Amino acid sequence: MNMLILLLLPLIAAFVAPLLKPKAATYLSSIVFLLPFLAIIGCLFNGCPSKVHLMTFSPPIGEFYLHFDMISHAFGLTICIVSAMIALYALPYMEHRFKEMELNVESEFRKYIFLYDLYAASMLWLVYSGNFVLLYVFLELTLITAFLLIYTYGYGNRKWVGILYFLWCAAAGVLTLAGIVILAFGNNTLALDVLLAGGKVSMIAWAFIFFGMIIELPVLGPHIWLPWAHAEAPTPVSALLSPLTVGLAGYVLLRTALIDYSFIETYRMPILVYALFSSIYGGFSVFKQTDFKRLLAYSTVSQMGYVLVALCLGPFGFVGLVIQYMSHAFGKSILFSSAGGIIAVHHGLRDITKMGGLHDSIPQISNAAVLGFLNLGGMLTIGMLGEFFILRGAVETFLKPGSPAFVTWGGGLALILTMIFMFILSVWYGFYTVRKVFYGKPKDTKRLEISSYLYMPLYIIAIVSVLLLFPPLSTALIQGLNAIPGLGLAGGVLSP
Amino acid sequence: MNEWIFFLLLFLTPVVSSVPIALAYKSKEWTERLPYLSVFGIFVSVLMSLYIFFTMEGQYSWPWLGPELGINFVFMCDYLSRYMGVVTAVIAFFIAIYGLDYMKGDYRPSWYWFCFNLFTASMLLVVYSDNLFLLFVGWEGLGAASWGLIGHWFRDDDDIAYVGKAGRKVGPLELSWPPSSGGWRAISTIRFGDVPMFFAIAAIWVLAGNLNISEINWESLFMGIGAAGTIILMLCFLMGLFTKSAQVPFSEWLMTAMTGPTTVSALLHSATMVAAGAFVFLKVTWYIEPWNLHNVPGLELVYTIVLFVGLLSGLYGALCGSGMLERKVLLAASTMSSIGLMFAAGAASFWFHHEIAGMNLALLVGFWYMATHAFAKASLFLVAGHLIHATHSRFLCGGLEFGKRIKPAFIATIIATTFLIGMPPLTAYWVKSGMDEVMEHLYLHEPHIVLPIILLILTSLTYSAIMARFLSLNFIKGEKPEHEHLEGGGLMKLGYSMMVSVLFILLFLIFINEETAGFVHAGYMSMSFVVGVGALIAYLVALYVPRISIFSRVPGTFFNDRMYLPYLNDYITPKIGFFISYMVQEFGNRGIDAFFNTKVIPGLFGAISKGIRKIQIGYLNVYVKIVLGFVMLFLIIASIGGIGL
Repeated sequence: MNMLILLLLPLIAAFVAPLLKPKAATYLSSIVFLLPFLAIIGCLFNGCPSKVHLMTFSPPIGEFYLHFDMISHAFGLTICIVSAMIALYALPYMEHRFKEMELNVESEFRKYIFLYDLYAASMLWLVYSGNFVLLYVFLELTLITAFLLIYTYGYGNRKWVGILYFLWCAAAGVLTLAGIVILAFGNNTLALDVLLAGGKVSMIAWAFIFFGMIIELPVLGPHIWLPWAHAEAPTPVSALLSPLTVGLAGYVLLRTALIDYSFIETYRMPILVYALFSSIYGGFSVFKQTDFKRLLAYSTVSQMGYVLVALCLGPFGFVGLVIQYMSHAFGKSILFSSAGGIIAVHHGLRDITKMGGLHDSIPQISNAAVLGFLNLGGMLTIGMLGEFFILRGAVETFLKPGSPAFVTWGGGLALILTMIFMFILSVWYGFYTVRKVFYGKPKDTKRLEISSYLYMPLYIIAIVSVLLLFPPLSTALIQGLNAIPGLGLAGGVLSP
Repeated sequence: MNEWIFFLLLFLTPVVSSVPIALAYKSKEWTERLPYLSVFGIFVSVLMSLYIFFTMEGQYSWPWLGPELGINFVFMCDYLSRYMGVVTAVIAFFIAIYGLDYMKGDYRPSWYWFCFNLFTASMLLVVYSDNLFLLFVGWEGLGAASWGLIGHWFRDDDDIAYVGKAGRKVGPLELSWPPSSGGWRAISTIRFGDVPMFFAIAAIWVLAGNLNISEINWESLFMGIGAAGTIILMLCFLMGLFTKSAQVPFSEWLMTAMTGPTTVSALLHSATMVAAGAFVFLKVTWYIEPWNLHNVPGLELVYTIVLFVGLLSGLYGALCGSGMLERKVLLAASTMSSIGLMFAAGAASFWFHHEIAGMNLALLVGFWYMATHAFAKASLFLVAGHLIHATHSRFLCGGLEFGKRIKPAFIATIIATTFLIGMPPLTAYWVKSGMDEVMEHLYLHEPHIVLPIILLILTSLTYSAIMARFLSLNFIKGEKPEHEHLEGGGLMKLGYSMMVSVLFILLFLIFINEETAGFVHAGYMSMSFVVGVGALIAYLVALYVPRISIFSRVPGTFFNDRMYLPYLNDYITPKIGFFISYMVQEFGNRGIDAFFNTKVIPGLFGAISKGIRKIQIGYLNVYVKIVLGFVMLFLIIASIGGIGL
C-alpha cells in the first residue's frame, strides 16, 4: 500500500508542479522520484508485498494490479534515479532553451514540467503494471508525452521529427496491442501473475509483440526514427528517451519471454544473428557521425542490440538484459546530459568537427562523459555484471554440453568472436569520441563557470552505477533476480 | 575473521585518500597540499602489504553476490601474491614520493593523483585476488587508470610529451604521437584483449563451476571441452594478458604510452601494469600445474604459443631498443622485451618440472625476474624523468661533463643497468642463470627444440647492449644537452636512490631464501657463466660504441620505427574500420533513411494519395468507367480461375 502511494506521487506531482515556480517545480519533481527510489532500495533489502490490487475487470482483461518483483524493481529504480537527476539537470537547460526559442520562461516551464513528470511517471508505472492492458496504456502515454515534448521544444525540423517519432512508435504500439489482444483471447486474462503461472503465448501473438517491440527497441532497419528523435529532442527528453524509454521494449519482451519462451527458442539463431549484426552496425555508424547527439543515438542502437542478444540467451541472458538496461540507462543519461551541457555552455555547439580540447573549458562535463562511456563499455560499473551475465548466457546456451542449443567450440567460434567484437566496439567508439570531443589541442583554454545543476546530477547517477557493482546493492539485486521463479534461475540454475 | 580490515585498508585507502584532491580541483592552494595525503594513502597500503607478507597465508573469502554464485571477494595470500603485493606497493610508494617533485606545478594535479592512486589500488586487487571476476575488476581499473594517465597532458601542446619526431613522415603515416593519441591507442588495444579474456572467465564460470583460481579443477575443465575448447578458451584468456603486457603484435600502445608523465611510465608501463599480464599468467600456471597435464589435448600447443610469443617479443623489443633515440621509448622497448622473457619462462614450466621447496623453478625464475626488473626498470625510468626535467629534452643526450654534475642519477643508472643485464655476480645474473637452465632444458629434454635458448641468448646480448646504450648516451658519450637545469629535484633523487637500493636487498634475498637456491646453483654452471660474460662484453662494447654509424642508417631507422609495426595499428586497422563505417553510414543509414523517411515510403504515400484524389473529380463517366473496369477485372479473374458463370 505504501508503495502505491509512493508511486502515485510522481503522477500527482505532474499536476501540482505546474502551479509552482520553475525552481520549486524542479525540486518537487526530483523529490517525488527520489522517494520511490529510496523505497525501492528498501524493497531490495527487506522485500515488498508482491502485489497491490487496483481493480478487476471481466475476462479476458482480468485483474489490474501493481506487480512487484525484482525485475520491476531493477527497472523502477533506474527510472526513478535517472528521472530525478535529469529533472534537476533540466532546470538551467530548459531555461536556456526557452530563452533561445524566445518564449516566456515561466509559463513554458509549466507546460514542460507537466509533460516531463507525466512522461517519467508513466514509464515508472509501466514497469510496475501487472496487466498487459495497463502496460499498453502507459506505453502509449510515454509516446504521447514524449512526442509533445519533441514537437514543442525540439531542435531543427522538430515538427517533422516529432511526427516521424510518433508514427513509428504508434505503429509499434498497434502491433503490440494486436499481440496483446491475441494473447488475451488465448488465455482469457491479461493479468501478469496468472499468465506467469502457466500462460501460453501463441506464435502469432509473440510475432506481433516481437515486431512491435523491435521497432520501439529499435534494431537495424526500423532504427531509423531513433537518430532523428534523439538528436532533435530537447536534451532532458533525449536523456530519458534514449536511456529509459527505448529499453522498455526490452522489458516488454522480457516479460513475454518469461511467460512463454517458445518463440525465441524456435527462432533463436536468426534473432541472435540479427541482433549481433544490428549492434555492430550501430557501433560502426557511431564513428561517422558529426552531431554529438546523433552519435549517441547510434550508440543506443548498438546498445539495444545487446538487449536483444541477451533475450536469446536464457536465464543468464535475462539477468544480463536487466542489468544491461540499467547500465545503459545510467551511461546514456549521463552522456546525453553532457552533450546538452556542451550545447548550453558553448552556445548550441553540437558539431564534433568543431569540438576538441573541450576538457579545458568544461572539465566537469568531460569527466562525467568519461564515466558515461565507462558505463556503456561495461568497465568498473554495473555494466561489468551485465556483460558478464550475457557472456555467461552465451556459454550456457551454446557451449555447455547438454545445453538447449549446443554447438561445439569449433562450431561456435564465429558466434563467440562476433559477440566479443560487439562488446569491444562500444569501448572503441566511446574513447574515440572522448578523444575527439574533449581532448587534443583546446581552442579555448578559459575555464567556464557553469551551473552545478549541469553536472552534479550526472555524478550522482555515476556513483549509483558504481555502487551497484559492489555489495550490498549488487548482492541484493542479483539475489533477488535469482529468486524469481519465472526467471528459471531458482532451483540452483545459477549456482554451479 | 577480522582480516577484512587489512584488505579493506589495503585497497581502499589509496582511493579514499585521493578523493579530497579530486574534489578540490578548483583550488590551487589545496591541490598543492593534498598530494601528500594521497601519498600517505599509498603508504598505508605498503604497511598492509608488509603485514600480509609477514603474517598471512592461504585463502581469505567474503561473500559478494552470494557464495553459490561464485562471485566473491576471495583473496589468496600465496607465495606469488605476497611478494608481488609488497613489490607493487613499495614501488608505487617510491614513485609517488618522486612524483611530489616531478608533478609540481602541473595543470591537472587532481586528475593525476586520483588516477595514480586508483591504479595502485587496482593493481593490488589484481595481485591478491583469487577470484577471477574480482581480478577482472582490478584489471579494468588498470586499463581505465592507464588510459587516464597516458593522456594526462591532454592538451597535446607540449612537444616534450610526444613520442616520435614531430612531422616525420614515413609513407602516408606521420610517426609522431601526441598524448591524447597515446591514451586512445592504449585503451583500444587493451580492450581488444580484455573482452576475450572476460569471455574466457565467463566460460570458466559455467564449465568449472568456480571462479577461484586455486580451486578450479583445471584438468577436468580442459578434458570436458576437448582440444578445440581448450585452445580457444586459453587463447581468449591469453589475449587479455598479451595485450596488457604489450607482447607482439600488440606492443604498439606501450611505445606511445610514453606520452604520459614519467612517473606513470615508471609505475604502470614498466614495473607493474604491463607486468600484470605476465603475473597473471604465472599465477594461473601455478595452479594449472601444466607439467602434470601432458595428457590434456591442446594444452601443449597453448604453452608453445606463449613460449614463442614471449621469446619473439623479447627479441623484437631488444632489437627495436637498439635503434631508439628517445629515452623513455628505449626503456619501453626494453620493458616489453623483459616481459616477453617472463612469459617465456612461465610457459617453459610445461616441459620443465624441477621443484624447489615445492615450487616449479621455471615459475620462480619468471617471478624473480619480474621483481628484479620492476625495481631496476623503475629506477631507470625515474632517472629518465629527472634527465628530461634537467635537459628539457626527451631524446638521449648528455656527456660525461653533464654526468658528473648529476651524479646521483649517473650512479643509479650504472647500478640499475648492471644489476639488470645479468652480468655476474649481480642480482639479475642469478635469475637469468635460472632462465638459461630452463631454456637449455627444452633443448636437452622434451620437446628438444633449440630455438628458445638461441632466442634467449640473442635477446640477452642485445638487451645488455641497449642498457649500456642508455647509460652511455645519457651520461658518457651523448651530445651536450641544450639546456641544463640541475637545481632542486631532491625528492626525485630520493625516489630513485631508494628504488635502486632495493636491488641489493633482492641480491641478498636470493642468497638466503630456500627456494632461490636453484638460481644460485644454476649460476655456477659454465653455460650460465658464458652467457653472463657475453652480456658483460656486449655491455662494455655498447658502452664504448653506443652508436654504430653505418648500422644506424638503415637498420637503425628500421628498429627505431619499430619495424614499421605502427602501420598495423595506425594505418591498416583504422583504414578497414573506417571503410566499414563509411559503407554503413553512406549506404546503410542513408539508404534506410531514404527508403523509410524521405523518399520511397513518403513518395509512395504521396503517389497513392494523388491517385485517389485524381479519381474524385465529380464526373459520373469516370466513376462508371471505374466500376466497369472492376467488373471486367472480376470477369477475367473468374474465367481464369475457372468459376463457371
